Amino acid sequence: MKRAGLHKPGDTFSIRRGPITTTQLVMYAGASGDFNRIHYDYPFAVQKGLGGVIAHGMLTMAFAASCAVEAFGQANRISRLDARFTAPVRVGDVVDVTATVVERSTPDDLIEATLTAEVDGRVVLKGVVEVAPAAEAMP
Amino acid sequence: MSDRADIDRSLIGSSAAPFAVEVEKGAIRRFAEAIGDTAAIYFDEAFARSLGYRGIVAPPTFPTTFRPPAKPAWIRGLDEGRILAGEQGFRYQRPIFAGDRLQCELRLTDMQDKRSSKGDMVLIIQDLIVTAPSGDMVCVNRRVVIYRGQTVTLAQGATS
Repeated sequence: MKRAGLHKPGDTFSIRRGPITTTQLVMYAGASGDFNRIHYDYPFAVQKGLGGVIAHGMLTMAFAASCAVEAFGQANRISRLDARFTAPVRVGDVVDVTATVVERSTPDDLIEATLTAEVDGRVVLKGVVEVAPAAEAMP
Repeated sequence: MSDRADIDRSLIGSSAAPFAVEVEKGAIRRFAEAIGDTAAIYFDEAFARSLGYRGIVAPPTFPTTFRPPAKPAWIRGLDEGRILAGEQGFRYQRPIFAGDRLQCELRLTDMQDKRSSKGDMVLIIQDLIVTAPSGDMVCVNRRVVIYRGQTVTLAQGATS
């Protein structure tokens, strides 16, 4: 079984993304199909009471998923990924994501980890990921 | 509640018209580039196959790109400037690969009132059900968006 990195409860792994640029938000809008103007139209976002453009929540969640894939290895398969967005992410923000193993179950060998994304120590995303071993990954 | 006349609860339990998606490797590459992820399984077919995958793999949040051709009825009348991301969840039976032809159905599961210190909001809970042509489930993507009341603002640094 191929496991890169994390194995036992308490193990942690972190990645850093950013600083977020408006260009990246436009790229993400195009790649994802989410063209809500609050993500790239500054006057519109201000008019809507957001104080400026905010990043797509799903961009932050993509960072969290990247952290999980890197932490557990590309051969392993994510069976479950959940996240809640707790604060907005803005242009210029640097996002740190940390995966922390909570549990490794037997005999199915599923690993459950929490995912936390922070900007300057402020939590912007809280999530959970469940990773299945590579041996079970292929249909 | 006057600022939420656009919320139509009679639609709870309904679905948008089913739609098909074809997962293209170019779309996966652009998505991976947009999220700043250089993992080889998203770009390099030979590498992905060397790990036992059928082909290029889609990143875990890629189903967010699966959108109905037209906005579903329960979103159509809303002010986009008041829609915020709330929660998302993915349950995978198998990974999604370049070349997959998938069937999608987006369902309005619930609408829930939420009161916060910053005002009233409505949680719009939607489930995207993704199946293979065989009918086998591939993944379910729960999408919860927050619809802010008109008075709810989000100043710099505030929480949503």
